[in-house]
Amino acid sequence: MKDGKTKIRRFSTFRIAEHWMIILSSVVLFATGLCQRFWHVDSAQWFILKMGGIDNVRLVHRYMGLFFTFEILLHVGVAVGGVASRKWESSMFITREDLVASIHNIRYYFGLENHAARCDRYDYMEKFEYWTILIGGFLMIVSGAVLWLPTMVTRILPGEIIPAAKVLHSNEALLIFLINAIWHIYNSIFSPDVFPLDTSIFTGYISRDRMMREHPLELARIEGVEPNVLLGDGPPGVEEKAADSGTG
Amino acid sequence: MKRWFAVIAFLLLAAGFPAAGHAKDDVDLSIESIKCLQCHGKKGIAYKFQNEESVEAYVNPAKYRLSVHSVLSCSRCHTDFSTDHHPSRNFRNKAQYRVRSSAVCRGCHTPDQIKSKSVHADLLTKEREGASPVCTDCHDAHSVTPVAGGRIIRSETEYCMKCHRQKMTMTCRNGDKISLNVSYSFSEGNAHDKLRCSDCHYGFSSDEHPKRNFRSRRDYTIASSESCRRCHFDKYTKTLDSVHNTILSQGNLNAPVCNDCHGSHQIPHMSRGVKGRVLTTHKCRKCHEEVFAVYAKSVHGSALFNEQNTDVPICIDCHTAHDIENPLTLEYHERIPQICGNCHANPAVVSKYGLSTEVLNAYLTDFHGVTLGLYRKQREQLYKPARPIAVCTDCHGTHNIMSSVSSDPANVKANLLKRCQKCHKDTNENFPNAWLSHYKPSLSKFPLIFIVSTAYKIFIPIMGLGLLLQIFLHIWRYAVNR
Repeated sequence: MKDGKTKIRRFSTFRIAEHWMIILSSVVLFATGLCQRFWHVDSAQWFILKMGGIDNVRLVHRYMGLFFTFEILLHVGVAVGGVASRKWESSMFITREDLVASIHNIRYYFGLENHAARCDRYDYMEKFEYWTILIGGFLMIVSGAVLWLPTMVTRILPGEIIPAAKVLHSNEALLIFLINAIWHIYNSIFSPDVFPLDTSIFTGYISRDRMMREHPLELARIEGVEPNVLLGDGPPGVEEKAADSGTG
Repeated sequence: MKRWFAVIAFLLLAAGFPAAGHAKDDVDLSIESIKCLQCHGKKGIAYKFQNEESVEAYVNPAKYRLSVHSVLSCSRCHTDFSTDHHPSRNFRNKAQYRVRSSAVCRGCHTPDQIKSKSVHADLLTKEREGASPVCTDCHDAHSVTPVAGGRIIRSETEYCMKCHRQKMTMTCRNGDKISLNVSYSFSEGNAHDKLRCSDCHYGFSSDEHPKRNFRSRRDYTIASSESCRRCHFDKYTKTLDSVHNTILSQGNLNAPVCNDCHGSHQIPHMSRGVKGRVLTTHKCRKCHEEVFAVYAKSVHGSALFNEQNTDVPICIDCHTAHDIENPLTLEYHERIPQICGNCHANPAVVSKYGLSTEVLNAYLTDFHGVTLGLYRKQREQLYKPARPIAVCTDCHGTHNIMSSVSSDPANVKANLLKRCQKCHKDTNENFPNAWLSHYKPSLSKFPLIFIVSTAYKIFIPIMGLGLLLQIFLHIWRYAVNR
């Protein structure tokens, strides 16, 4: 058996850069957006005043929204180009296996299965997060543009679209924020499997042990062996997990 | 000392002759006087001057008997006349005659005696300047009574009213005449009926009557209003912050002062009833006639004047009564939603008219309302100039507010578009529909917004709880496996 500490390349430099850009735009957009949604809260007002007023906040929010739009378009462009040129497998698409894996994991949590679901390059939780944020990102871009340019929009669409866009923008932002704050932060920081930080998106590498535990089907493909052979008789032990936590 | 002696003598006299007026009935007139009254005691007798003016030569015998001069015979004043001699006189006009008659009074009443009454000070000064004060302007020639008119003066007010119920004027330096005649009422309707004259006219009393010299009638009014602060200091300090005081201090003397709105001697009690409220609007109307005309036609004004409705706002409800702010400032503009909200967010006021109390909240939580609130904070804390944001009056009007129920919707929309275009250039008729007209989205009103909002209200908590449950189960499984 190969050494569990062996590092396996998981993310390219482009993906690492993309993640940094998303961190930057998310932090700025959430800070300047949530203070507008919760304007009546004292801390929100403190932040707005520290930013030099609501006009500055809106300006920063809108231009960071433009940057976010660029990121999303770049991401989708690269993804479509990559998949279309058959260089990449469409590993992020949701399949029937994801549904099976999610049910399997719930059963595993309740002790009805003796091992966690065995996933490929991206597990169903990562896919859920990715798609909610990608689709949410599109909704935010479209509704944000409507709110930025209401005069232009109402030349072709009814006026009601403006308050509708506001409700959508505000709620979708909250939804994405909650997914990030609860789910993503837990999975990449507080989860016992990765605590204190899952560094793979920053370094680009992941340990073979974590690959074995979280993405065994991908590991088997990388190493050119059958998953059953790779996994042996049983699933990766919990003891292994604890020993390996935090290596990313 | 001399004065005290006079007062004591007067009191003794008053005590000794409680019904002095009646005692006078028994006065025996001189034979000469009786003889004169045989002709002059008949009505209709008159004397004609060269300029065709005439003066009545009739003397009321009853009044003459009561007068302080009844003890004198006629010839003491009419020196050229006697029972045997009745010369023919020839005066150019009445004025000449009156001046001449006054000179007769001065034969007995010396300047020192006249000067002893402070009320005469002004007249004596005028006389030194060449004018000819006429005694009979105030003291009737044949019915002149003692100062108290034979009665005991019970109060300072009565004392002052002795003269000030007469028609007399004061002349300002610019020639303006100020009437000093006071139509004073002791009725309970007068808020100041318990006050003495000198409470307001400080410096004046039965002993003191200083001479005042004003440039104009307006100067006098403004100076008089200063008296009010002695009692109404809270209101006075408020007026110092008012736009009226600002323009007054900038030199516009037409700016209203206390007296202009409250009057001077007949000050009614404050009335919160419909009568008082109507009266208040009319006070403002004195200067703001155009605004009044517009207000009277508005939904508020017509309800006040036609229906005697006391729920509708009058001028002072929005502009306040004393610390009236310049309504064109940004600070005032920012406060308008709260001003309107005083009634429109108060169920006790508007619910009975079928109006929603949610209108204020709907505005304050919408884009404009939020921006307005933040701009105010910025201005206060960052001293940052803010842009004016559309408030209630921008869409509904100010003094010309019409009923939103009875207004033509097309008209309302057209007005709204005009207002939107002031800030949002090049907008078309779709744009005003972005404002939900204070309505809360529902399936019947703005269903798209209602559906989007409801969907998120359901989805966000479910998703949040689902994710938390996943996390909990994951940690639990980890702990169990361990």
